[in-house]
Amino acid sequence: MLTVLLEAQKVSRFFHSGKNRSFALQEVSVAVRSGEFLVITGPSGAGKSTLLNLLGGLDRPSQGDVRYNGRRLAAMNDSQVAMLRNISFGFMFQTPHLLTDRTVAENVSLPFHYGTPIAQNEIQDRCRELLEYIGMADMAGRFPDTLSGGEMQRVVFARALVRRPKVIFADEPTGSLDADNSERILVLLQEQTRQGCAVVMVSHDPEAVRYGSRVIRLEKNHSHT
Amino acid sequence: MLSQPLLLDINDAWKNLCRRPLRSLLSSLGIGIGVTALIAMLSISEGAKLVAFRKISSMGINTLRVEALPSRSQRSDSSINLSQGLNHEDGVQLEQWLGTRGKVGAYARKDNVLVRAGNKTVAATVLGVNAGWFGAEKLTVEQGRLIDDGDIAYRGNSCVIGSSLASALQIDILSTIQLAHYPSTVVGLAARRGRLLTEGTGLSALDFDNTVIVPLSSMPFAKSIAGRVLLDGLVISLEVTQEGAILSIAEQIKQLLARNHRNVDDFNIVVPVTLLREAWESQRVFSFIMGAIAGLSLLVGGIGVMNVMLANISEQTREIGLRMAVGASRARIISLYLWNSILLTLSGGLWGTLAGVLLALGIENVAGWEVVFSTFSLIIAPLSAILTGIIFGLHPARRAAALDPALALRDS
Repeated sequence: MLTVLLEAQKVSRFFHSGKNRSFALQEVSVAVRSGEFLVITGPSGAGKSTLLNLLGGLDRPSQGDVRYNGRRLAAMNDSQVAMLRNISFGFMFQTPHLLTDRTVAENVSLPFHYGTPIAQNEIQDRCRELLEYIGMADMAGRFPDTLSGGEMQRVVFARALVRRPKVIFADEPTGSLDADNSERILVLLQEQTRQGCAVVMVSHDPEAVRYGSRVIRLEKNHSHT
Repeated sequence: MLSQPLLLDINDAWKNLCRRPLRSLLSSLGIGIGVTALIAMLSISEGAKLVAFRKISSMGINTLRVEALPSRSQRSDSSINLSQGLNHEDGVQLEQWLGTRGKVGAYARKDNVLVRAGNKTVAATVLGVNAGWFGAEKLTVEQGRLIDDGDIAYRGNSCVIGSSLASALQIDILSTIQLAHYPSTVVGLAARRGRLLTEGTGLSALDFDNTVIVPLSSMPFAKSIAGRVLLDGLVISLEVTQEGAILSIAEQIKQLLARNHRNVDDFNIVVPVTLLREAWESQRVFSFIMGAIAGLSLLVGGIGVMNVMLANISEQTREIGLRMAVGASRARIISLYLWNSILLTLSGGLWGTLAGVLLALGIENVAGWEVVFSTFSLIIAPLSAILTGIIFGLHPARRAAALDPALALRDS
């Protein structure tokens, strides 16, 4: 039985619109176990990205609780949640967010600007290993605007992995990629689950969904597992 | 030693600014102008302070100077019948009144007297002094002796000569010189003293080093009326150094002389303490005005920096979201953007300091004002720029830190 790493208990996220509440997500519960590849799917507006943001500590639920290793995220202060995102979580987004004035290696090592400092040579070793792993060892000194979309997304993947996280959150990571590059990213993500890392991926691409070990489908205002 | 996160934030902030070099340069320009004004103001103010201090020092802070005003030859009104002008009796009376509280030097002067020695002739000032004058002026001799009571009593033709004049005439002790047509023997060479800085005081200028000092009793150019030798001035050196005591004695001397002169306004009394006060007051007003200008420039520059910071943050919303996603706490986002602002203003502060120094030197050359660069001004100017960066960078930095990471990442 795999241990539960991350858990959302009846989480809702709503926004006030005048006197009315507009729900982006309503009473959703989900548990993420180490080593599993959880795919969240569903129609646009169902709250897939909202759920991913709540699980990843990028947003706070209006109601309900998110727990990581049993600890309520709501009970943590901003610095503690930031530390959690830095050390235990990695993120990938549909658009590859890279700093355009930094090299590939500098982008990959960005998480080391924050959280617990480690030795510079270890940072370099980890970056080199990861760039070799994603097949971009010879591109460490290049700038993002010289890379293809697929290469940029692989750099984002390396950055998500550089702190050796427990959970990788991927929001439509293949949304802007062609079939070959999509498959490459999905394979890389799947490989991480084999090493005990959990992956939570939002996608409505049927091909991508196939890689999940578990799929949850969100409908507007309710969910089906 | 700076901590690693701090160095990383400073490095990131610097790279952020380098993305928009023109924008960064223009916003630092505003701060630089403020700092330029601040440096120029402080250096001019310090220079004015030094000039005032030099002037007061040359006169002596506890030395009062009384000058006849105007000379008898220029007076043609009826006051001549009431007062005979500043005379030897005034000096004697003041000496008695002061007692041990000070020394009184009395003198009559004649400017542009042709002094001849051998085949050399130089125009100089001849001073006829009483024996107390040297003590009151604190003038000493390098060689020989001073004019003493014996010279005064016996109306000797001895003289003490200023160092520049002695050099120009190439004479030494016991040389004989001609003061116009009057012979005089040099008994002392005065120690170098320089000029009496009198600009703006109403006093006559005097270069001690280009002066021949003779006994008042045998001064060939002295005028007298009814047996009283008329004076051109009195020098009163007080023992007290406290400002209040000096002002009090000065007031009493003024009243004493006014009574002697039957309230005829024929003398001018200069109190260096009052001059110092006036100099400080005018300097304070000048500093306030210049400070206000510099402050306004910094305020305008600071608003410019805030504007640029807000524009940068608006453009970098997604990057802020990304930094938060990879682990930046709100405190680190504040640190990053605060350093952005500080680096902008500090760069303005540094080149503003350089420009301020150049401006002040330019003013010194063009207007002839003396400028002084104090360590205080060279430190306070960049510090004020840093402070401006903190004040005007704090709001944009807090605004950046308040962004919701999930929303920031979705920013288009």
